[in-house]
Amino acid sequence: MKKLMLLLLMVPLAFAATGWEPIAAMAIFISGTLLAAVYIVGFGLGISELQMIAKEELFQLIALLIIIAALTGTNGILNGISTNAAFKSDASSMQDLGLDVVGTWNESLSTALGNLATMDKAISIEGSAGGQCSILGMGYSVSGCGGYSMLATPLSMAGGIAGFAVAEVSAMERLLEITKKYALSFILPLGIILRTFKMTRGAGGFLIALAVSMHIMLPAGAIFGEMLAVTFLDDSAASAGYEDDPGTVSMGTCNPLETESVSGFKSMTNSILEADGPGLPDASIGSGTNDGKAMNAYKKMRAKLKDYLFTMLIRATLGPVLALLLMMSGLRALSAIAGADVDVSAISRFV
Amino acid sequence: MAAELICGPKFGSFLTTTIIPITAYATMATCMVIAASYMLGRMLSNPKLTLWSKTEIVQLFVSLASTLLIIMVVGSFCNVNMSEVAQIFGASGSGNIYDAAKGYLSDAALHAHHAITVVRYQLQGYTVLSYFNALKCEIPMGDSTGLGCFFGQGSTTMQPLGGYGTVMAALNFALNSSLMSFFTAMNFAFILMFVYRGFAFMFLPLGIFMRSMPYMRPFGSLMIAVSFSFLIVYPLMLAIFGLMSDVILKEPVDMSKYHEKAYPDHEGAEELATSMAGEAYVHDMYFGDGQDNYVGALNFAATAFIGGVFFPTVAMIAAIASVAYVARLYGDEIDLSRLTQLV
Repeated sequence: MKKLMLLLLMVPLAFAATGWEPIAAMAIFISGTLLAAVYIVGFGLGISELQMIAKEELFQLIALLIIIAALTGTNGILNGISTNAAFKSDASSMQDLGLDVVGTWNESLSTALGNLATMDKAISIEGSAGGQCSILGMGYSVSGCGGYSMLATPLSMAGGIAGFAVAEVSAMERLLEITKKYALSFILPLGIILRTFKMTRGAGGFLIALAVSMHIMLPAGAIFGEMLAVTFLDDSAASAGYEDDPGTVSMGTCNPLETESVSGFKSMTNSILEADGPGLPDASIGSGTNDGKAMNAYKKMRAKLKDYLFTMLIRATLGPVLALLLMMSGLRALSAIAGADVDVSAISRFV
Repeated sequence: MAAELICGPKFGSFLTTTIIPITAYATMATCMVIAASYMLGRMLSNPKLTLWSKTEIVQLFVSLASTLLIIMVVGSFCNVNMSEVAQIFGASGSGNIYDAAKGYLSDAALHAHHAITVVRYQLQGYTVLSYFNALKCEIPMGDSTGLGCFFGQGSTTMQPLGGYGTVMAALNFALNSSLMSFFTAMNFAFILMFVYRGFAFMFLPLGIFMRSMPYMRPFGSLMIAVSFSFLIVYPLMLAIFGLMSDVILKEPVDMSKYHEKAYPDHEGAEELATSMAGEAYVHDMYFGDGQDNYVGALNFAATAFIGGVFFPTVAMIAAIASVAYVARLYGDEIDLSRLTQLV
């Protein structure tokens, strides 16, 4: 009798809001009716196996009700946390906040990639210059800007990393868009409907777990990632030199016919290694020469490295990986709770 | 369309003239084996044989009922109108479940192909631009000539449009990813087509027969479970994702600006002369209409991965999980989860 009372108390909870709840309630109601029919037939005809099946399915139905009640409560609590003024006062939901966070990451990364491309373009234009002078077939050609070519390889590598990061964050942004539009309104009710039937219980449980993981874990992971980054930036002692907005680096114009070598090469090398004055060219480097300009450009780039590392590794790699791992872990755990022990290792390998 | 394969009259004919008769033969053959075993048991007064026969006749009915259930559900799926289902959830869809499943994978493959087109176009454009060389004469007279070139040669060579190593490294990754997404979507589509051609139905009579043979019950259960999962769960999951394709396969850039020509346009003498006169012409030839959008290309590659790899893999995982659950209904433990490692 107490169990029946608990069941009856949970029914209005399912109708408490518009959205996925009415469909979930409808699925549970249909499933309950079918179970009652099976039990009645078993009871009427004296088939104990049918009665046993009905009882077992009733247990599954109660488990589903508990899952739905837990989901409703957890969603409310997490939304309450995520929309707390301490985190972000103007967000309407955790999913919106997650989308905002990932959108900011994407914007920051796109800017970083754009800055890298601008630097690469400017350096390549300067580095491609070569001069020639000839009279009556005699003369010479000089590639006085060859020193700039050393900057192309690290920029190319940085471009590869930044491109990967932009794609990763874009994929996550798309997943969050899908989450916001479909996770609770479509995937979850379908999962509930499928889970009510014995043959499709595995697929149904998996869909429920997928919907819940996408709805809660994915945005939560993005928000936690952002919180980590913001906490790090707020600690001025730890984050000194790490800026949220990686800038660009200017470089001197190259004269292709200028062949003067840099004076004081040893002192220049030492000054680069010692990294005195981050972000500033060393006055001791002969900035009047092509090689000196290239070295100064390299040094400025080196000083900017921490900013790019922060944007690409903390924001774009650690954040999304954390979010996706949370989602995958949630999917694995929730699918087991929802009655579908599914091996999600294939999806985990995407991370 | 899929209706021609699995829901059309040809398939109905295949079902009635091939699958159902073979199923009937398999059932009869199994009945005969069971009957012979029962008679032998009675003749030899061996209770093990008679008990086995009684058990197997029940299992035979279970197998037959499962087969009929699968065929009924397939018939129902052929009649489900996905546009009506979509209206319930505020989504959009068309055709039956099998059409929707095939439609989703076709659209995902097309989406990945569009991503390849956008990325390739930009890679080509940037390659051409980075190899564009200009000769700047000393003592310039206008944009493209100077006194330095008249008396001997005093000039500077350069690549005025610069290098695109950074962007090209990013786009190369995007191209690889888009290609992988395209091939994966096509791979899943071929698996679906294989199912639609009826291979899974052949497992049903085999499953009925094998389930009642000594030591072969797990294999028979596997056959029926695989049929159920690939005929029902796999297309159903894909059809569900198909209803969400408005968001999953939304194109982040305007595809009409990009094409697959090796050269942007026909090059006449006048165009060539103009291109020699200035780098702006070459730049505009490729990127004059705002096609210079490498961030958009990277976004496209990412969404192609989500649509062509992530969601079809989820559908496959659900189908494989379903095999284990259906097999469990028959009292067997079958774990095909390692198959997902092939993905």
